[in-house]
Amino acid sequence: MLKKTAINKATELAAALMEKGTLIAPVKEDAGFNFREISDAKQVDLNFHNTIISPKSAFFPQTEDFVRYQTGKSILEATPVELNIKPAFLFGVRPCDVKSFEIMDIHFSGTGLVDPYWQKRREATTVFGYAFDLDKPAEAEEFYQTLGIGAADPEGSDIFMVKKDNDLLMKAITPRGEKLLTGLNIPSEASADDEKYFDDTVAAGRNFKTRSTCVDARATAKKFEDLFHNTDFWEKMSHACLSCGACTFVCPTCYCFDICDETLFSRGTRRRVWDACMFTDFTLEASGHNPRTKVYQRLRQKVCHKYSYHVRKYGVISCVGCGRCTRYCPVNIDIFSIVEEAVKA
Amino acid sequence: MAISFKQIEDKLKTEAKGLLETGKVSLVLAYGKGYDEKHPMPYVARRPSDADNIVFNEFCTHNMARYMVRYPAGTKMAVAVKAADSRAVIQLIQEEKVKREDLVLLGIPAYGMKNPKTGETIDSKTTCGLYNPVLYDVLLGEEVHGQPVVSPYDVLAQYEAMDKEARFAFWKKELDKCIRCYACRKACPMCYCDPCFIDQNKPKWGEKSPESAGNLMYHLTRFHHLAGRCIDCGECSRACPVNIPLYLFHKKVAKDCEDMFGQAAGMSVEDKPVLVNFRVDDSDKILE
Ligand code: SF4
Ligand code: SF4
Ligand code: SF4
Ligand code: SF4
Repeated sequence: MLKKTAINKATELAAALMEKGTLIAPVKEDAGFNFREISDAKQVDLNFHNTIISPKSAFFPQTEDFVRYQTGKSILEATPVELNIKPAFLFGVRPCDVKSFEIMDIHFSGTGLVDPYWQKRREATTVFGYAFDLDKPAEAEEFYQTLGIGAADPEGSDIFMVKKDNDLLMKAITPRGEKLLTGLNIPSEASADDEKYFDDTVAAGRNFKTRSTCVDARATAKKFEDLFHNTDFWEKMSHACLSCGACTFVCPTCYCFDICDETLFSRGTRRRVWDACMFTDFTLEASGHNPRTKVYQRLRQKVCHKYSYHVRKYGVISCVGCGRCTRYCPVNIDIFSIVEEAVKA
Repeated sequence: MAISFKQIEDKLKTEAKGLLETGKVSLVLAYGKGYDEKHPMPYVARRPSDADNIVFNEFCTHNMARYMVRYPAGTKMAVAVKAADSRAVIQLIQEEKVKREDLVLLGIPAYGMKNPKTGETIDSKTTCGLYNPVLYDVLLGEEVHGQPVVSPYDVLAQYEAMDKEARFAFWKKELDKCIRCYACRKACPMCYCDPCFIDQNKPKWGEKSPESAGNLMYHLTRFHHLAGRCIDCGECSRACPVNIPLYLFHKKVAKDCEDMFGQAAGMSVEDKPVLVNFRVDDSDKILE
């Protein structure tokens, strides 16, 4: 099913979705756009390229409370935090980010060890994918196409949206999407012309250039394995790196976290908080030993995890080429350039 | 007179090559190519032939003094320094993190530098606003004269005019945006502590989760650890992925420090760091 609505009627669409559940959509903030839970339908703003932080936070928030307790009291009095999950709509996700959910599913449910927090939110959420604007060239930081992800790939979305002049075409991709779209009385039926436009955009998206080098996952993974002990190479790649957490925190496929106990007076919460392999204390052991004391070791971990270990274990690169890490790196380190250097080395 | 970035780049290459060839230094901290022209990167030249990879343009905003403490004490190095960067070097000499005799400072007089992320021109609003390096061995261009001299503290007026509640609300809103990626402290030439207080857990000084309490603890402490030490290069704010105007707080502390003790950070190798230098005639305002 394909429906359409005027883009300037997006507010009405947002309001209709808010009646059915929680709406998470791009919102314009001082520094740029971010996905936020919408409280006023007017906040939704589709006039964005991509968000600063990836939409992974819809399923894997930076802070997640597990248990609350009182210090000094018995552990039996601690109370688990109820996972109160309502139907949700994640609106306006770019195709590369939609792809990241599939990669994250491997870790949060696919290996058999299920993370209920991730999985229940995933199950309760309808994903509205949104094609990049093919009239504008890709940004210099992006490289999803070289990783085989089209700028208008509908796979992975429940409903996929394409902008056509002043209209938003919305196509149901999954049965869940079909059901939702049928029940929404706002968008009108699309014409045969719209159907063609939608299909043409998806096809054009596959050939929409980001960067020129093509990446063969297996060969790249092997190359990085060979380079592991080449300290010279890694030192060269990392001499600018500050070893901060900007790249991993904005990344849609970084999933590391730390479990912390945080207390305010006697009220305590056991929670998980995003962590990053680029932090010095990420690998710090209780003995005081730290197997990764050098910046190059940490950057090597980040790159090799995504482009080598992940491929060896799960068959896919754990990067979708969204370009966020490059865009927000304070010293302009570009992960794709490291991949290119490795291939050449 | 416009800045000739090309000329500076050429001189930087020549100097770097010469210094590495004669073995006067074992590395040169400068700038190299990034993924495009607008995004050059900090670069370390180690061999004379590396000097060819050095670039310099208006997007070379990074403070290379940040990297000096990464190398073992006694490493002979040359460092490309713009005005604020040279102040960072001076401050690090005062704090005995590096020795003057180990350094060759390649001074870069410049204005009109641009923030690679926003394209905005960088001036005294977000930095110390000086044009010429305060300390250098070689100057890679002509000294800048005739550019407007603006106090780096002018930008503070509108915030100082706010009442306490409004100012607290302003900072709460700003600091609530923080995602605790620590790019700010990592980009800062003066944040060299290992471990940083916020990473310690015995005692634990602040919470790790990006919520008000921990964010305030991290930032207010960091602002104060930088008191009398921040040289106003603006790197922390440029590094921040969510654009928190950290420079405003640092400027305010720097201004108060200067008012109270009559000394700005990183202006002379003869100075002692202001907060460790007790003088009988020191201002008591800090205790008020
Ligand atoms: S590694 Fe970088 S480009 Fe790849 S998914 Fe993460 S943020 Fe995007
Ligand atoms: S690559 Fe960039 S963003 Fe990532 S840790 Fe290094 S300096 Fe920070
Ligand atoms: S915030 Fe304070 S403890 Fe942390 S690195 Fe900076 S000066 Fe050191
Ligand atoms: S760089 Fe910005 S977001 Fe990151 S810790 Fe510093 S203030 Fe927070």
